[in-house]
Amino acid sequence: MPSLKSVKTGAISAMILTSAMMINDAQALTVYTAGPGSLSKSLATGFEKQTGIKVNIFQATTGKVMARLEAEQANPQADVLISASWDTAEDLQHRGWLLPYESANAAKVPEQFKTANYVAQGISALGIVWNTKSGTPEPKTWQDLTAPAFKDKVTTPDPALSGASLDLLIGLQNSEGEKAWQLFDQLKANGMVMSGPNAQAVTPVLQGAKAAVFGAVDYVTYNNIAQGESVKVIFPENGTVVAPRPMMILKSSQHADDAKKFVDYVLSDEGQEQVAKAWLMPARTDIKAQRPLFTEIKLLPANSDGSSERSAVLKRFGALFGQ
Amino acid sequence: MMSRALNGLILLALTLLVALPLLFIVLQALFSQPGEGNWSGAFSALPALFEDPQLVPMWLGTLKIGGGVALCSLLLGLPLGALRGLFRLPGAAMWDLLFLIPFLTPPYIVALSWTLALQRNGYFEQLIGINFDSLLFSSTGMTLVMTLNIFPVVYFAVSRSLMASGQRLAWVARVHGASAWRAFAQITLPLTLPALAGGVLLAFTLAIEEYGVPAALGTQAHLTLMTVGIEIKLADWPIDLPGAASLSLMLSLVALTAWFLQRKLTGSSDVTAVNGKPVVQELAEGGRWLPLMLLPFILTVLLAVVLPLGAMTLSGLLNTLSGGLHVNNLTLRHFGALFSQQGDALAAFSTSIGLALGAALLTGLLGFLIAWRVSEGKTRLLAMMDGLALLPAAMPGVVVGVGLILLWNRGFWPVSPYNTMFILLLSYSCLLLPWPVRYVSSALRQLAPTLEPAARVHGASRLQALRLIVLPLVAPSLLAAMMMVFAVASRELVTSLLLAPAGTQTVAIFIWRQFEQGSVGQGMAMATVTLLASLTLMLGATMLMQRQGNK
Repeated sequence: MPSLKSVKTGAISAMILTSAMMINDAQALTVYTAGPGSLSKSLATGFEKQTGIKVNIFQATTGKVMARLEAEQANPQADVLISASWDTAEDLQHRGWLLPYESANAAKVPEQFKTANYVAQGISALGIVWNTKSGTPEPKTWQDLTAPAFKDKVTTPDPALSGASLDLLIGLQNSEGEKAWQLFDQLKANGMVMSGPNAQAVTPVLQGAKAAVFGAVDYVTYNNIAQGESVKVIFPENGTVVAPRPMMILKSSQHADDAKKFVDYVLSDEGQEQVAKAWLMPARTDIKAQRPLFTEIKLLPANSDGSSERSAVLKRFGALFGQ
Repeated sequence: MMSRALNGLILLALTLLVALPLLFIVLQALFSQPGEGNWSGAFSALPALFEDPQLVPMWLGTLKIGGGVALCSLLLGLPLGALRGLFRLPGAAMWDLLFLIPFLTPPYIVALSWTLALQRNGYFEQLIGINFDSLLFSSTGMTLVMTLNIFPVVYFAVSRSLMASGQRLAWVARVHGASAWRAFAQITLPLTLPALAGGVLLAFTLAIEEYGVPAALGTQAHLTLMTVGIEIKLADWPIDLPGAASLSLMLSLVALTAWFLQRKLTGSSDVTAVNGKPVVQELAEGGRWLPLMLLPFILTVLLAVVLPLGAMTLSGLLNTLSGGLHVNNLTLRHFGALFSQQGDALAAFSTSIGLALGAALLTGLLGFLIAWRVSEGKTRLLAMMDGLALLPAAMPGVVVGVGLILLWNRGFWPVSPYNTMFILLLSYSCLLLPWPVRYVSSALRQLAPTLEPAARVHGASRLQALRLIVLPLVAPSLLAAMMMVFAVASRELVTSLLLAPAGTQTVAIFIWRQFEQGSVGQGMAMATVTLLASLTLMLGATMLMQRQGNK
């Protein structure tokens, strides 16, 4: 009975396969990270090569990473967390979940992008992503997207799912007050729709279903441009916000020393070059970037810290663009 | 003695796989903090849930989509199934196989493929100048996309039931002067009704459980369905465990109701239609109507298989999306990148295949044992076993995921499968256990009850009789069910997203992450390769089985 034999072989190889996968290295460092998967992978590989410490990565959107962290509260798994929203680090700091650590390699990171407990891994900025073949005039300001040429052709990420997108709304409100809400009203009247997280807003613009994204994270699009897509990142003349990506060590870590080594590595010359290669601005000012730096972009006033304000903005925006 | 030990073992497995996760959902839904051993505040989470302004639209949306999919599946599946079951069609086996493909394709990939094909400036507009933007991003669009994925359950239910009951009674009516149409309407159709109702209710259950299509099309259609709502509560910050558990419970109750209805309706069909004697398949000749009969098959295959899978493959072959449909915009680089991406794609592939194989073997073994034990008697214990084993059919994937997290992600377990591959194996096995149990049970019901005792009389041990008589006879059904388990497990998305440990990816997660990061081409290339690989594996297995059968 050759079939029975093949079933047996299949069963045995399946068991070997699964048990090989079960061996979860207890010594491995666990990193939860939002943002580019290729970057987290190359950082893990470089770190492993240098120190011999294995790294397990969980990579998803900021909301999912934070949710997993919260869900595992009873039995924490993560050692290092890299989020795409500065706000999440402040929140964890308030809860007392963070292990203070200042890396020697952070010396060249500007003051506004580090605290005693967390430090930026890299920085992204928000802008308009515009399809150059869309037949629409190139937008120069946020208001340009309310023009008739952009009727039903603008999309925006859901700020509830994209922390960076929420930063932009708050930045606009802080600098322009109710005028910002007039802008959102006009965008709504012009047919702007809200999509899922960042990429779900950008993809229709790549194919030309939409002409522009209001407030997209720039590095994803720089990467798309490098792949040959005909889109452009525009930082409006009236100002935008940057989104530093905080990196932190959790107090519950069983591998605090390795975690510190990992933070050192990400902030090292080699680590920061990887960050630059992923089209982000490096956190260190002495590492070359292949894209505009935050010093070259007109910025809106930084957001204030009250979290009630964040949820209020989110609620108001959701009511405007939701179901 | 042996059967008692076996019962114990089966019950233990069912408790771990099905009962405990469900129990923890109930506990979490009733008490807000059972994890901390805090039993106060029963039902405290409910007011907040009912105050949620999203709740009613979410419910209505889910029921509307579920009902719409059931209705459209009926409209599409009934005529096709009737034609297949009543007439001798050329390429009958091929149509069956083609209609299996939408069922085996990841639904969210299909939804995204439709998006790329139909939206403004999508492939259709680039080719023929029209777009279906407003149709696609609406509840109608969502219903249609899901129907094209789900209608095969109605098609298979109707065609198989017609083929099993045969046409003898209808011919009797014809002989006595009834018109062909009257014979169909008054004899054939009523005989098929139980199977038809079962198929439609199954379509409804599958539709309200579906996560991929609502997740891909929902935001633009301004429609959040229950499964997406649960996933957001559970997997987006800040998380809401009691809310997710209560919603899960509600969704399960609806699915359970539909499922009980279906069981009531289909339970009687076996008695009336199949009498155990070999039925000669008396398929009518289509004659000159044949081309007209084949037309709906061709159109359906075009809509349900060729177009979405074509759009999927095409998206994987386009160098850039903004480049549009041009010969010089075609490239194999996305496919090539799968093999160079620091081994991620290959690792995801082997993880998924390994897990799917593991789930197929585990559910195959357990399902066979349960079906065999249940077929032997009618005690309350065995009935409970049967119920527990079939219960996951009414549990949406997202609910099983919630249950497993609530159960295993606790400090008090000395060892826990959470954060290892075992948790994925558990979730796939729980979700897919009903397939082998169902398939093997119906195969066992057709066996003459004398076979096993005859072997025992001739000196075979119980185990020998089982291994040499029963197992070979039900093996085709068992293998078919295991292949189904393999196919679904190798592409399962929502529990994988919720439960995969850090550092591991399955195929579905890999594709999902590619989309999340804006690499549509890469995601679609991976989807294409995976579909081709699983189809090849399944075809190979089918051919191997057929060759074995011919010897």
